[in-house]
Amino acid sequence: MLSRVADALFWMSRYLERADHVARAVEVTFQLDLDLHGVLANPAELEWNALLALLRQPPPRAGGGDDPVAAVQRWLLVDMANAGSVMACVNRSRNNARSIRGSISPPMWRELNKLYWRLSDAGMQARVAESPHDFCEEAQLGVLLFHGACEATLTHDEGWHFIQLGRHLERAEKVLRILDARFGLLEGAEPEDLPISNLQWAAVLRKCAAYEAYQRLSVSRIEPERVVSFLLAHPDFPHSARFCLARIQESLAAISGRLPDRCDDEVARTVGRLLNDLVYFDGGDLPGERLHAFLGGTLARCARIGNLLQQQYALH
Amino acid sequence: MTSRPIAAVAASSGSPCAVSAHDGLFAGYEIGAAFDEMFARPGPDGPEPRPHYLPLYDRLRQTSPEDFRRRKAMTDLSMRQDGVGFTVYRAEEGIERVWPMDPVPRIIPAVEWRQIEAGLVQRINALNLFLWDVYHEQHILRDGVVPAGLVLQGGFFRREFVGVEVPRKIYIHICGTDLIRDVDGRYLVLEDNARTPSGVSYMLQNRQVIKRVFPSLFNDYDVLPNDDYPAALLDVLRYIAPESAPQPTVVLLSPGMYNSAYFEHSFLAQRMGIELVEGRDLLVDGNRVFMRTTRGRQRVDVIYRRIDDDFLDPLTFRPDSALGVPGLVNAYRAGTVALANSIGTGIADDKGIYPFVPDMIRYYLKQDPILDNVETFRPEIAAHRSHVLENLGALVVKRVNESGGYGMLVGPASTAEQREEFRRLILAQPRDFIAQPTIQLSTHPTFVDGRLEGRHLDLRPFVLCGERVTVTPGGLTRVALPRGSLVVNSSQGGGSKDTWILADRPVSTHGAE
Repeated sequence: MLSRVADALFWMSRYLERADHVARAVEVTFQLDLDLHGVLANPAELEWNALLALLRQPPPRAGGGDDPVAAVQRWLLVDMANAGSVMACVNRSRNNARSIRGSISPPMWRELNKLYWRLSDAGMQARVAESPHDFCEEAQLGVLLFHGACEATLTHDEGWHFIQLGRHLERAEKVLRILDARFGLLEGAEPEDLPISNLQWAAVLRKCAAYEAYQRLSVSRIEPERVVSFLLAHPDFPHSARFCLARIQESLAAISGRLPDRCDDEVARTVGRLLNDLVYFDGGDLPGERLHAFLGGTLARCARIGNLLQQQYALH
Repeated sequence: MTSRPIAAVAASSGSPCAVSAHDGLFAGYEIGAAFDEMFARPGPDGPEPRPHYLPLYDRLRQTSPEDFRRRKAMTDLSMRQDGVGFTVYRAEEGIERVWPMDPVPRIIPAVEWRQIEAGLVQRINALNLFLWDVYHEQHILRDGVVPAGLVLQGGFFRREFVGVEVPRKIYIHICGTDLIRDVDGRYLVLEDNARTPSGVSYMLQNRQVIKRVFPSLFNDYDVLPNDDYPAALLDVLRYIAPESAPQPTVVLLSPGMYNSAYFEHSFLAQRMGIELVEGRDLLVDGNRVFMRTTRGRQRVDVIYRRIDDDFLDPLTFRPDSALGVPGLVNAYRAGTVALANSIGTGIADDKGIYPFVPDMIRYYLKQDPILDNVETFRPEIAAHRSHVLENLGALVVKRVNESGGYGMLVGPASTAEQREEFRRLILAQPRDFIAQPTIQLSTHPTFVDGRLEGRHLDLRPFVLCGERVTVTPGGLTRVALPRGSLVVNSSQGGGSKDTWILADRPVSTHGAE
């Protein structure tokens, strides 16, 4: 496979995953903001600023008289000037797809193209001011349709594996960041804060599309330590960091044509070690600051995996 | 796609004749001076649909404008969702446009197609013989059939390629020849596109869309399929592979996604199952061509290149080209890689050479041309020159060595200053120009503003030359959408139609067994 094609497949997939993540995070924050309205003094500022921090975004340039929350939503969803907005990510994903249209299946291209046009629709974008719900749902649905088409119509060969690499590396990073942004909540929750804490941890789970999956596993009030273990180390939940790293390991092995434990290049070693740490993760070991350090280190290792991939396959 | 305005403008027509008996979609349909594809010239009872259009005519008469509008919207949506043919004007966030397709198909009966096909085969054979000749022994120049100066000083003549052997002696593997019909319905060749012709993906896409949108209408006719084109093209590309490569690796070389024909490049690569590469994906080492893959270098044997000669190799042609591959031309010369089309074919579709194609056919094939050229004047000849200068207001003047509609004077649409400018230019460099009478392009019912109106069109069939010459049944029909316009260019309000070539048996009637 052409190195350029592998690169475009990787980034097509990665940007799309990012769009999915931002759309879900905005939607969840919007709901959380509504829920907390009656309880906290200024939930809007708190939650939306936390979201901007999570997405590592500066606040949008202040427009005179704009509702600040609506401005943040527009900035994160539709503003093409923000390279991290859903619209900009879908656009980049589509541009990558367009540059290699012959290497993806026609249904994949069609779904991505349709998604772009639906989200570009002026009416759709205007409705964001009232509620971001439609836009966010449309974005997430489009990503699912794309990956459905990918699963069912693209040969699961080298190119398919580069798509999996982009998707799972991005997803792993996002799960780690979402947890990292909330690590402070682990300590010092007073009994009277419980409902709020519950809401906020539910939001963490929802940002990872994990709320229902977690509840099925644990019929009780949300316990932060179990959430952390679930999102980091669950073997089979598709948004857990461990699941993502395991897929990355599989795809690397498939691309190199060897068994996972016979891969001896640096990127395979880095992935394998990180995966091991997640497989044997013990949440009891890591309260508070130590968890923060662990997550930070894990994020750095993910970034390193991305760089090593570029070197190994001459992605540019 | 690259296209140019058709070199003709509507001559002042006779009194328009309305198809008055009709309502619905045909309400107010007018037949002008041009040949109308659907309706014969009015007899005593008014205009009559030609026999091969009768089933379509009946269907359309039974279709309400609302229903038709709905189907037209379906074609637009299909095109848009498939991302067909968008034009990007700026890199990051371009304006994207879909090339509009008119859902009323253009129909060509078998007997007419046979003549077109035979004429196109004859023409590409003569052009390939001509190219081999001018790059080798130059008999046709020494015999004075084609003026040597026109060829040897032509901007598209590649003197670097004199004496170079090309695989199977074929220069033009893919040709898109533009045909128009005059007021009598005669098919005329307007120009040959022998470099990197585009449009074939629209031909294939239009067929897919019309089958989705008008399945019953399609079923009324025995239409020859055109879907074999990518397979036939792949046959040609494999046929010219170096003999050292029994299982050749074929790639399509594209300038990249910002090229206006990029949709077509990726479409064809996908349909053929070959890699779409850009210049930066290829490298030449020891006169052999490789592509950069995730597993290292892989040898390339045949390149279907959609990059012009000038940009192919910065070492040989334009040094500033970032699209090409350094060293590619030498590898080609060494015979380790095949190119389609070959280098230097531009001299065969040069406007200065065009008037001599009928002479080439007689010279090489000892046959009379089956398809005629548009009558062409060459100001280089004194008698022609005075005719041209006296009739600038009625002629279309084209600059040779140019394409894409540049350097053209369309007489009836010109200003006095423009005519004066061309008079000076022609007098200074008569050899750089040709002139043609303005031709009335044929018209065809086309859906505009809720009803059908006559619009001018042309036809670009696609000819492939490998082990044998094949003409895919059909072609790209381009239609000028603004009323009275003869410019079918996609950037100037042009659209396209599906083109149906009928099988060689009677048209089946609707509902008959």
